[in-house]
Amino acid sequence: MSWEATLLTFALIDNVILSRLLGVDPYGMPGSLRSAAAAGGLFTILMAASAVAGSVLETQVLAPFGLEALRTPAFVLLVAAFAAALHGLAARRAPAMLEEAGVSLGRTATSTAVLGVVLIASRGGLDAGRALLAGLGAGAGFFLVTSMMTAIRLRLEVEPVPRALRGFPLQLVTAALMAYAFLAFDRGFLARFLGR
Amino acid sequence: MSTGLLLLSLCPAIAMTDTVIHSLWMSAGVILVSLLSTIARDVLDRSSASTATSPKGAVRLLRALLISSVLTAAFEAGLLAVSPTASASMGIYSPLIAVNVLVIADRQPAARSLARSASGALGRGLAVSASLLVVAIFREALGAGTITLFPAGAFRGTIIVGPLVDQPVRALGLAGGALLCLGYLAGALQAIATRRASAASEGEKPR
Amino acid sequence: MSAPPPVPPADAPRPSSAPRPGVAPHLRVAMSSKRMTWLAAASLVPALGLGVALYGVPALMVTGASLLCALAAELATTLPWRRFTLADGSAALTGLIIGLVLPAGAPLYVPAAASAFGILVIKQSFGGLGRNWMNPAMGGVVFATLSWPGAASWSIAPLGWPAGAALTPLQALRAALSMPGSHQATPLAVLEKAGYSFSGLDSGVVGWINTHLLSPAGLALRQGTLDVFIGHVPGAIGASAPLLALGAAYLLHRRVIRWQLPVIYLGSFVVLSLVFGGLASGQGWSAGGPGFHLLSGNLVLAAFYAAPDPVTSPLTGTGKWILGVVLGALTFLLRYFGSLGDGAAAAIVLGNCLTPLLDLWTFRRPEAASRGAA
Repeated sequence: MSWEATLLTFALIDNVILSRLLGVDPYGMPGSLRSAAAAGGLFTILMAASAVAGSVLETQVLAPFGLEALRTPAFVLLVAAFAAALHGLAARRAPAMLEEAGVSLGRTATSTAVLGVVLIASRGGLDAGRALLAGLGAGAGFFLVTSMMTAIRLRLEVEPVPRALRGFPLQLVTAALMAYAFLAFDRGFLARFLGR
Repeated sequence: MSTGLLLLSLCPAIAMTDTVIHSLWMSAGVILVSLLSTIARDVLDRSSASTATSPKGAVRLLRALLISSVLTAAFEAGLLAVSPTASASMGIYSPLIAVNVLVIADRQPAARSLARSASGALGRGLAVSASLLVVAIFREALGAGTITLFPAGAFRGTIIVGPLVDQPVRALGLAGGALLCLGYLAGALQAIATRRASAASEGEKPR
Repeated sequence: MSAPPPVPPADAPRPSSAPRPGVAPHLRVAMSSKRMTWLAAASLVPALGLGVALYGVPALMVTGASLLCALAAELATTLPWRRFTLADGSAALTGLIIGLVLPAGAPLYVPAAASAFGILVIKQSFGGLGRNWMNPAMGGVVFATLSWPGAASWSIAPLGWPAGAALTPLQALRAALSMPGSHQATPLAVLEKAGYSFSGLDSGVVGWINTHLLSPAGLALRQGTLDVFIGHVPGAIGASAPLLALGAAYLLHRRVIRWQLPVIYLGSFVVLSLVFGGLASGQGWSAGGPGFHLLSGNLVLAAFYAAPDPVTSPLTGTGKWILGVVLGALTFLLRYFGSLGDGAAAAIVLGNCLTPLLDLWTFRRPEAASRGAA
């Protein structure tokens, strides 16, 4: 896949939230656009870094030594380690951004979205460069969808929605409708758009 | 276990509800890993409590991740041996069980007896499985017109749901369909929880 | 029906650092008044009339099914709570638009499911009139097209065409362009070369005009110009662009809709189509055919009836401009590169996803919102 195809696939065609169904979190919903942006930035960096590390680990360690069975523990711990490192770095260099994002280390380390991207990148046999693009694209798509859903959620908060659906259930229905909308961007579109 | 935690753990697993058989495999993984990791953590907590040095938060998280991911890897290896096709169709979602079970795991397993925390883990795993099954039946029956189960003897494994199989509601079988079904399931659960809460607060004006 | 602005329920949590989107629900409910909705429905009657004339009973069945199902779905979610909302016309308008967007050959479960999904999931689940963020008609059509891709785009030949199932001009163009060596100057030329048939009326009239009026001047109208212009081609029931434009002109005159969003939408589509459209079909820059696209499919309906819907369109003037450009770009991308023949409904739905975000970005003060909406 070309680099632009990788970016667009991870961002739009196979969006982390709307297509892979990862990263949907009732407790981690940003309270404002600013915190959605901060969280999006944080997750993008984490996805990119972990995806690169994961692909390197896959191609240099797991595959040559026949250790595929250890892939799951290796990747889970890898993501946790990177999450901890990123939190530490952010706490020192950009504490305001970390505060704004409002995600705890627990949430980041066990994020299905990040782990999912790492797994997809490694299963796709992506090299380090492509994995970086995959992580960045996934993060961008994650950020876009989270922002749009935050805006919708803020709008819904003051509307008299049916009581049973108030809150997370309606977020899920919103995500469903958005997922249907995004299906307009499919592989056929990508193939035609990137020049046949 | 609160509705919210249940839903949080369901979110990635919901991708495996496109057919009933996939949801069953997913449920098996969740139950196994949840149960065994609770037991393992319980045993470790007791042994560390006896030495009067309980690990800090981050170390606890790391240990929990290690246990659940190793157990998930074991489940994956077992699944690969038992049914390679099932293993292939689970894709990235079987490794994700490792982080999923942490969501529904008990925070303080050593607070109760081993039997109670184990049965609690089993109960939570079954709650997840029941939810996945409900969604999967709905999605597959309406979205594909079939219900896919294990082949057994003369039964080829697929139940056809009448004329729906010719022109099913394919949108339900797509990713959006999973979110849609989960959303309304969440609404139903939330309604039940609210009703239970208002019934429990006897005499207070229900919200 | 001028309900007092609803009070936000006591348990609605207030995010601390958010602006005040609470202004939005009141404005939106007030803006989508009963009179405006019924006027919009009335303005669609000419297009519906032509559709019924062209396709006969099947068109009536499809439109009837979508209308009935929309009304039934709305009743099912309001009567048990002792409310009656059909008088506000919104369910009727949704059902009517869905019927017009679908082809006459669609099996009846398609419009029924589209309407039911639109009303139940997209509108009522979010709190009813004025609360939805996605257009119920367009979202319902997208749902139906995803569920039954073949059935939902099953056009039959209109009156005056060779009978049977038929491809719409957009579908035929897509098919023709995918064959090698078919890069011509205009879409009509491509279709002619691919053997697409037009009606007898068209060949008669166009032939007459060419013989008597244009060939002395050395010009000629292509076969099919009349058919495409008045919408006398296989396709959706309400695909007559001139009639829809007439209805829209009436709505603009009565100030039911504002001109900004539709005009910017169509304008950006035309610009992109002129500049880049040729690239998609291998003809190079500045060789696209916006005229054909404007007249085909549901573009005019989407631009004048779906995009400026006060419930789902941006509140601020800046937001309208941005969304107009985005919609035009999305429709251009999906028409020329997408997998579906007609990207208008999908573009609207994607634009709906973006609108709340645009509102928050461009929202400065409540006074600005009322100025921007005026």
